[in-house]
Amino acid sequence: MPSRPRSLDSSIGTKLLVGFTGFLLFLYLILHIGGNVMVFLGPDTFNGYSDLLLSNPLIIPIEIGLVMIFLVHIYKTVAMTLDNRRARPVKYARKKSAGAPSRKSVASSTMIVSGLWLLLFIVIHVRTFKFGPEYETASGVRDLYRLEMENFSDPITVVFYLISMLVVGSHLWHGASSALQSLGIDSQTWTPRILLSGKVAAVLIAGGFIVITVWAFSQGART
Amino acid sequence: MRLTLKIWRQAGPNVAGRLVVYAADHVSPDMSFLEMLDVVNEGLIKKGEDAIAFDSDCREGICGMCGLVVNGIPHGPDRGTTVCQLHMRRFKDGDTITIEPWRAKAFPVVKDLVVDRSAFDRIIAAGGYVSVNCGGAPDGNAIPISKDVSELAMDSAACIGCGACVAACKNASAHLFMSAKISHLALLPQGQVERARRVVQMVTQADAEGFGSCSNEGECEAVCPKEIPISNIARMTREYLRAVVRI
Ligand code: HEM
Ligand code: FES
Repeated sequence: MPSRPRSLDSSIGTKLLVGFTGFLLFLYLILHIGGNVMVFLGPDTFNGYSDLLLSNPLIIPIEIGLVMIFLVHIYKTVAMTLDNRRARPVKYARKKSAGAPSRKSVASSTMIVSGLWLLLFIVIHVRTFKFGPEYETASGVRDLYRLEMENFSDPITVVFYLISMLVVGSHLWHGASSALQSLGIDSQTWTPRILLSGKVAAVLIAGGFIVITVWAFSQGART
Repeated sequence: MRLTLKIWRQAGPNVAGRLVVYAADHVSPDMSFLEMLDVVNEGLIKKGEDAIAFDSDCREGICGMCGLVVNGIPHGPDRGTTVCQLHMRRFKDGDTITIEPWRAKAFPVVKDLVVDRSAFDRIIAAGGYVSVNCGGAPDGNAIPISKDVSELAMDSAACIGCGACVAACKNASAHLFMSAKISHLALLPQGQVERARRVVQMVTQADAEGFGSCSNEGECEAVCPKEIPISNIARMTREYLRAVVRI
């Protein structure tokens, strides 16, 4: 009988870890878009909100937790993808989806590609914003509004962000509902609702960030 | 009907194989898919060539012995049927049909379209049994179980162990097969004694056999001749969690 820690190495333990970390990252993104829409309320509200977040003493442990969740998600999904490839050493000459009730989609078939793109995106994104230039407002808080407007005045940055948001939308199109199935959450009543809400959430999250990006770009174009 | 067949030929377990093209010129739409292959084989034997090896037994969708990937779909294009129940009227004159064996590391090719599925037997041997002696058939009403639950268990028990779920899965995962067996026994009073041990041992065995993990796509459910749903896989995950917490 395997011991408890070894249980997390099994194919089901892996599913549980990937589903759990994936779901937490999904929840984080919901909070993240919630905060970011404040940009529409003007520089004062936006900077005030970000200062409120950054001055909270809990932010450091939360950031460390977030990084750990990421690392587990990345390690487990990459290792699992490699293992899964090894499980079929000889490919089919011809392979087709069998159709409904299968949930297979372009999104579900490219999770590792969208995931690795997101890894690249997140590194660049964190470097640009978190570790970017430290502008200050007149009231002495960090002027993230100015930083955001500056970054999104550059068309190359805007295009990179728009692509990345389509990628995150794709990752979540399959991932959001899949995470709950991985955790064993399933019922005749709830599964259809979860599948639908996952897709709606994916579109709202990706769409929300796209609107912010395009809006910020148009603001820059006007001034 | 005249058909062009592209069939995987492989002389033995550890030799290279390849798709070989055959013309099937006298196919009746009333033939079953396997009868069509029988006729092709008669032609090959007459010419003194090696017949195409493929598995079958009951030829009525109940034994789980047959299994071919037809044009990229395990058991072919029809839902809820095995390849022995597929008929040639499903194809058109002049069609090209690609026929391949189940592809998985854990299902090595024995010859042509025949694969070794004994990995499934070893998964069952690891825990898919009830060791209490049940005696003769008991009075059905004496078993404390509701109709809904017993029907769920029966739906899971419908698995014929053909391996199409593994063949369809992009990860060659055995999760649907295992989860059907685990659900079947976990839902019944007779299965309670080994309930925790069973799920852990079967999962450990499947992982050791080299089957992959589950990405929740559900291709397995779509090709399953018994239409066993992936809700069984979620139940297996819950069973696993419950077992790990208890041991
Ligand atoms: C914003 C960041 C990310 C979010 C919100 C996220 C979210 C998710 C979610 C919810 C799932 C579904 C979990 C499941 O099916 O159990 C998932 C799966 C997956 N993630 Fe991510 N993820 C992110 C970043 C990444 C990164 C950086 C990688 C890089 C390798 C990655 C690779 C994968 C893969 C390969 C899967 C599919 C696993 C499978 O086949 O079942 N993800 N992700
Ligand atoms: S030969 Fe028995 S199920 Fe097809």
